[in-house]
Amino acid sequence: MDDWKPSPLIKPFGARKKRSWYLTWKYKLTNQRTLRRFCQTGAVLFLLVTVIVNIKLILDTRRAISEASEDLEPEQDYDDTLGRLEPPRRRGSGPRRVLDVEVYSSRSKVYVAVDGTTVLEDEAREQGRGIHVIVLNQATGHVMAKRVFDTYSPHEDEAMVLFLNMVAPGRVLICTVKDEGSFHLKDTAKALLRSLGSQAGPALGWRDTWVFVGRKGGPVLGEKHSKSPALSSWGDPVLLKTDVPLSSAEEAECHWADTEMNRRRRRFCSKVEGYGSVCSCKDPTPIEFSPDLLPDNKVLNVPVAVIAGNRPNYLYRMLRSLLSAQGVSPQMITVFIDGYYEEPMDVVALFGLRGIQHTPISIKNARVSQHYKASLTATFNLFPEAKFAVVLEEDLDIAVDFFSFLSQSIHLLEEDDSLYCISAWNDQGYEHTAEDPALLYRVETMPGLGWVLRKSLYKEELEPKWPTPEKLWDWDMWMRMPEQRRGRECIIPDVSRSYHFGIVGLNMNGYFHEAYFKKHKFNTVPGVQLRNVDSLKKDAYEVEIHRLLSEAEVLDHSKNPCEDSFLPDTEGHTYVAFIRMEKEDDFTTWTQLAKCLHIWDLDVRGNHRGLWRLFRKKNHFLVVGVPASPYSVKKPPSVTPIFLEPPPKEEGAPGAAEQI
Amino acid sequence: MSRINKNVILALLTLTSSAFLLFQLYYYKHYLSAKNGIGLSKSKGSRIGFDSTQWRAVKKFIMLTSSQNVPVFLIDPLILELISKNFEQIKNTSHGSTSECKFFCVPREFTAFALQYHLWKNEEGWFRIAENMGFQCLKIESKDPRLDGIDSLSGTEIPLHYICRLATHAIHLVVFHERSGNYLWHGHLRLKGHIDKKFFPFRKLQFGRYPGAFDRPELQQVTIDGLEVRIPKDPVHFLEEIPHSRFIECRYKEARAFLQQYLDDNTVEAMVFRKSAKELLQLAAKTLKKLGVRFWLSSGTCLGWYRQCNIIPYSKDVDLGIFIQDYKSDIIIAFQDAGLPLKHKFGKVEDSLELSFQGKDDVKLDIFFFYEETDHMWNGGTQAKSGKKFKYLFPKFTLCWTEFVDMKVNVPCETIEYIEANYGKTWKIPIKIWDWKNSPPNVQSNGIWPISEWDEVIQLY
Repeated sequence: MDDWKPSPLIKPFGARKKRSWYLTWKYKLTNQRTLRRFCQTGAVLFLLVTVIVNIKLILDTRRAISEASEDLEPEQDYDDTLGRLEPPRRRGSGPRRVLDVEVYSSRSKVYVAVDGTTVLEDEAREQGRGIHVIVLNQATGHVMAKRVFDTYSPHEDEAMVLFLNMVAPGRVLICTVKDEGSFHLKDTAKALLRSLGSQAGPALGWRDTWVFVGRKGGPVLGEKHSKSPALSSWGDPVLLKTDVPLSSAEEAECHWADTEMNRRRRRFCSKVEGYGSVCSCKDPTPIEFSPDLLPDNKVLNVPVAVIAGNRPNYLYRMLRSLLSAQGVSPQMITVFIDGYYEEPMDVVALFGLRGIQHTPISIKNARVSQHYKASLTATFNLFPEAKFAVVLEEDLDIAVDFFSFLSQSIHLLEEDDSLYCISAWNDQGYEHTAEDPALLYRVETMPGLGWVLRKSLYKEELEPKWPTPEKLWDWDMWMRMPEQRRGRECIIPDVSRSYHFGIVGLNMNGYFHEAYFKKHKFNTVPGVQLRNVDSLKKDAYEVEIHRLLSEAEVLDHSKNPCEDSFLPDTEGHTYVAFIRMEKEDDFTTWTQLAKCLHIWDLDVRGNHRGLWRLFRKKNHFLVVGVPASPYSVKKPPSVTPIFLEPPPKEEGAPGAAEQI
Repeated sequence: MSRINKNVILALLTLTSSAFLLFQLYYYKHYLSAKNGIGLSKSKGSRIGFDSTQWRAVKKFIMLTSSQNVPVFLIDPLILELISKNFEQIKNTSHGSTSECKFFCVPREFTAFALQYHLWKNEEGWFRIAENMGFQCLKIESKDPRLDGIDSLSGTEIPLHYICRLATHAIHLVVFHERSGNYLWHGHLRLKGHIDKKFFPFRKLQFGRYPGAFDRPELQQVTIDGLEVRIPKDPVHFLEEIPHSRFIECRYKEARAFLQQYLDDNTVEAMVFRKSAKELLQLAAKTLKKLGVRFWLSSGTCLGWYRQCNIIPYSKDVDLGIFIQDYKSDIIIAFQDAGLPLKHKFGKVEDSLELSFQGKDDVKLDIFFFYEETDHMWNGGTQAKSGKKFKYLFPKFTLCWTEFVDMKVNVPCETIEYIEANYGKTWKIPIKIWDWKNSPPNVQSNGIWPISEWDEVIQLY
């Protein structure tokens, strides 16, 4: 293109004398030298213009290209493989694949391998006893759920029945027994195993080994069983190798309407199992709730931090109740997951919420405590305008009027410096000791379990001196220490706005839960108007207490306070009893009284200057510690404070639980 | 014969080149109009006004945001400038009575809006609706910098930019996130591998070249070219912020590594000092902001930010830098009114000025004034008892925003050069004993103040 440009431009000027036929013709027509020259220069100019336009075009194109490629440059290396590894879809049109499944059952070890990959292996001593259940996606072979039910212990078979019933039809079920799985395997569970097509399951005996592979609502794909020969020995180890045909993806998926919500549902249901009707094809449970709005909601813009570990089923239940509470704003919720667990993250994504994972630091209690700190700091970073944060845990049910309760009381935290927190939980609020959903208390203990934290308290006091990872402290115990609490109090409701349902936890077991948490009262009435909220402020509360004590009827102190007849069979009265309490930290009598009242007695909770408030037989029941409490002045001189002897032998927590 | 050939060649060349030129002209026009629609809109925009592509794109976008409750406001520098120049006129124009399209019809390739993310309630379905309306949208996401400061958290990515194209006009939606320190932050427009580089000439965008920080603007609703838009209440202030908005994040990862090596001081004294230093810094920032004086973190405070993202607990003072051209005579009075009495004053405005104020709990606030030379900056020092002068040299620098102890403050963008000038290459190693006359590698002695001037240049209180 370039070579034609310069050469012809100069030479034509030299050509003049000899005329070609062409020029003769041209001269005949015009016969003017000037015109000829004019034509020539015109042609040259024209060529020049062409060249210029051409160059401009080239430059322009080049610039456009370089711009595009410059944009390309930054952070090319950034394109890491972030996307989660979706299981390979096997379309119906493709060749039908089979999974090669291996299942092993023995006294001390169980394992399950799918296509050569071990998906379960448990040979730890002293744990993992019972029936291990694995659910596979029938189209992908993806492990959707992994559970172990210790059916040697009571009630675990009920949990297994519940779980197996929730599994969607068509899924591949794998069961294998480790150690012992029959002792508390009751008829309902056996009938269910029979309905799945199992031969040996319903007849499972003491220390038998057993493996089972089958499709829910479909054929059995393999089963092996070995009877234990004697009471003191186990059945022989059994190993089952079987082929599981995969079905097409279309068969495995439901046909829900194509909405944003159902897209989340589909993603969730193709990955995990054991969440019941949320994945039902015909009539799936809603995952959006749109509860009523609260008029004049003061906590609409308060961030909610949900502290979670790896208990996705709990988290699911918790988030359902939270998202159903009136006045909730989902975009203010952040779920903080302690560890890189996928399933809790899937639950969070199902509800379309924000989830944050936390690399575990330290161990046990310190790990929880570090997780709390990171979560609280992150919450205030994400919502820098917030003055408060609501802190929840994954094993709580949230009352329908949780936010209404907070909206009505949160101004106290702003106006009263002597407050430490507002909590939705009353440690002493059991079915038989709590009555009035409109009533609030001030207490010197920090109950946690659904509470509001003031930003200034966290940023200025707690965060800088939060226990470091090497200190194995419970964060809540630390927060309750006098150095942190500094005489401040918490506001709690008489009837709790949260319910602690967690049985599996760091400091938790079934027995403990049954004794201390199961019978807790939980408000289910929507839109409760709290009574006289401003009387909870420091000085007003003292006035209120004095008024209460003045009108309270003094109980008959000669009776045994543990007897039911200690309180008369009335309703709506206020009664007061005086117990011995020598010093501010003398809780001997109170602990005994709490024990026989079947309320929290593991440490002292719910007191306000030596006063406890609860309900008995629908009467308000006040307990004053004499002489340590300033309210001792209300004691008539004739009354001798009750003294209860502690039991001679030191009894720990389980002993206390046994009494109940 | 050769002559004939030459002429014939010339004629033939003219012919081919004219054909070629015609083709090129056609192609060039086509190329231009496809690229930014100038060829089309220029002629139409001036005559018919409300028919231009950009006006229609903006209108559609505003319809979309108001129907979906997307909290956006206009931040386009060009349009805001036009608006601020014609502000009276806009206020007087009642809704709908606009006769001429003046603002949104200026030929542009894109219009920039900001999105207040924390007010946005329905993020999920928005994209789809935009696409149904004919927009082609691109979403640029990244990890959340607000989680960077905290050990080992990883969360869902947050959106940073949306670019939505309608015909030849694009809407650049910059996502503004709330940060601790009462300011708004937007992210870097960084193209990841899977993004189509040809989607838009990204280089031309005014926002996103760097992350940016802005004061949270108050907003107002105005009607411009018949469209209801929200704009900053003080567009001039917002426009002034744009060129200085570049934001740099603290190096949290390196800070964590540093603290792992040297361990943080968590004693009660360290905590008390940090708390009072933070309060002093907040008070100083507030006072200087009121005066409209720019400042940056200097010396030990800057080192603390850069090295450990926190106040160095044994540093005993707070150090700030101010350009001497920003000096105002009422600085001393303003600080005194804020409860910070002058402790000493060294030098004079023309030479080596340094102010020191007494804060609470024995924490001192040092303000160094920086003088600019052709190839470097310097600030001065004075030894009270001998009248000796010192000079501290720094390479030239510009100012960037950053977040430090829950505040938005300036630091030198070229931080590493600044710190290495002041503390040498070994700044990473904590040193508790520091002699300001000998330790800094950039110190030079600068003679002695003449005794006649001592009363003026050495004032101790």
